[in-house]
Amino acid sequence: MTTTITIDPVTRIEGHARILLECDATGAVEKAHFCVNELRGFERILVGMEAHTMPQITARICGVCPTAHHLVAAKALDRAAGVEPPVAARLLRELMYMGHMIHSHALSLFVLTGPDLVFGLDGAPATRNIVGMVETTPDLAKKGLRLRSLGQKINETIGGRGIHPVTAVAGGISFRLNDAQRSRLQELTAEAVTLVTELFGRTKGLLEDFLQKYPSLLEKINSPTWYLGTVNGGRLNFYDGNLRAMDAEGRIRSEFSAIDYAGVMAERAVSRSYAKEVFLDIDGNEHLYRVGPLARINVADGMETPLAEAEFATFRKNFGRPCHNAILQIYAKLIELISACEKAQMIVNYPALQGETRVAAHFTGGRGIAHIEAPRGTLIHDYEIDERGIVRKANMIIATQQNTAAINASLKEGADAVLGEGSDEAILNRLEFIVRCYDPCLACATHALGRMEMDVEIIRNGRTVRRMRRD
Amino acid sequence: MAPALIVCIGNELAADDGAGQAVYLALKETRLPEGTRLEFLGVGGMNLLETFSGEDHLVVVDAVQFGAAPGTVHTLDWDRIPSLGQRPVSGHGIGIREAIEVGRRLYPEKTPKHVHLIGIEGKCFNTLGAGLSAEVAGALDAAVKQITDLLGGLQPA
Repeated sequence: MTTTITIDPVTRIEGHARILLECDATGAVEKAHFCVNELRGFERILVGMEAHTMPQITARICGVCPTAHHLVAAKALDRAAGVEPPVAARLLRELMYMGHMIHSHALSLFVLTGPDLVFGLDGAPATRNIVGMVETTPDLAKKGLRLRSLGQKINETIGGRGIHPVTAVAGGISFRLNDAQRSRLQELTAEAVTLVTELFGRTKGLLEDFLQKYPSLLEKINSPTWYLGTVNGGRLNFYDGNLRAMDAEGRIRSEFSAIDYAGVMAERAVSRSYAKEVFLDIDGNEHLYRVGPLARINVADGMETPLAEAEFATFRKNFGRPCHNAILQIYAKLIELISACEKAQMIVNYPALQGETRVAAHFTGGRGIAHIEAPRGTLIHDYEIDERGIVRKANMIIATQQNTAAINASLKEGADAVLGEGSDEAILNRLEFIVRCYDPCLACATHALGRMEMDVEIIRNGRTVRRMRRD
Repeated sequence: MAPALIVCIGNELAADDGAGQAVYLALKETRLPEGTRLEFLGVGGMNLLETFSGEDHLVVVDAVQFGAAPGTVHTLDWDRIPSLGQRPVSGHGIGIREAIEVGRRLYPEKTPKHVHLIGIEGKCFNTLGAGLSAEVAGALDAAVKQITDLLGGLQPA
């Protein structure tokens, strides 16, 4: 006898996640499925478009990581045109990207996960949210949101006004930084470093208290996987470098350029989702792997900046390599947030930032493949461009696609721990919390208004025997 | 006339999610009461807070899925604007209600006191490159009219 538990928004809205739990006769979870209902036509609409529009068009695919798409598309076009952008362009792109990482990680940590850390996993959701957090810990909320806003301003100062950046082009960046823009960036990055220094200890303290209160989270959500992330000279890098694959025992099994991704990353269509699942194909076997903050911290030998490096060392001492615990993605994200703030400040003070920013780029027919570490994990763009500069084929690998199998494994472990004795509310809270640790991309649509309650259904032999609903 | 801010939200690449963008373009060609500022946002959420500069009134224009017939234009005051969900699991799940509640507590001097939503009921949201559905395209004039009527009737705060 099999029991299926469905967690689903009542009103079916494209772009939102469902959780299916298949239980056996004893109530143990046999399988968990996190279903992503994706936007259709992702790559298809790009075919036939002019290649030089890719950075702007792809930035609009996603509401939460536009800059990652914008920059990886520009990098892929550089490769297709066979050009190397000038140093100043590379630095400006990376600085824009640090702004985006700061914005995205601060949002994820303080707005999404913050209420879990402040209020714990028990109790009504009506108070355990960002509004409740603003009332209970206004200083923390205000500083966290300010940091998010600083990241967005850094991003906009270089990327152009608005959420969707427009300045990265094939061959570089479309403008040169003037003195006024540079001093503004110096102010913004200095404030970001000051803020993150203040916020870090406090947030880490909240996480430690939280983990003490819920010790099972550290004990249980440890499904071993492989890891993939980007390193430059062995150190964690968001913008560029080699992709490094690590096995579940912590051995580095491959280090490769994104150009060779198709030989290592195997894509496979799955029936439950529009998204393809991806595995690492190494030594003739397919390996389940994770991308994102925890994966990056696992594969890296160290960090580029002092505060982040100190915290990285503490993480490694306490949790080893690799660390398999899904909840500790929160800690990994915090280390990355420090790193992005420090790196931004480092770049803004390089004299080379104000040099030439663009070389001519022409398409003579060929392929352009590039990658970047999006906030949620490795993102690859792959274009075939004809001699007239038209996109003939496009392929993208996004973070959530790579993480889906690991999210399923974490949900199975998490559900097993609470299903037996947990109340409805406890089950919902914990499963949502686990998903939130991965902060998955759902459909990259921006429409955001409608009803989205959670619904839990337990089905036995095709009949609904229990239904729990949250308004 | 009380200073008002109109923020249109949407993504023109994603079918009816482009409704906000289409209304934004139409409003740019429309005579709006003096003191009205018009902004476009590619995504909503916390970014909404960045657009405030102390206006009395805020009008948000976005595609919605409230279950009405596609092309229906809803004008909702603050009390009727729904929450997007108490505990989002992703950055995609933060709505305007949450953003404004946060703004009212953290930046009361900047955050508008009066908020309305013009919601255009969409039909298709999950197909990129599809353009607006006929129902939504046919509702744009009505949306613009509801916005200008609303602005005309606003009282100084």
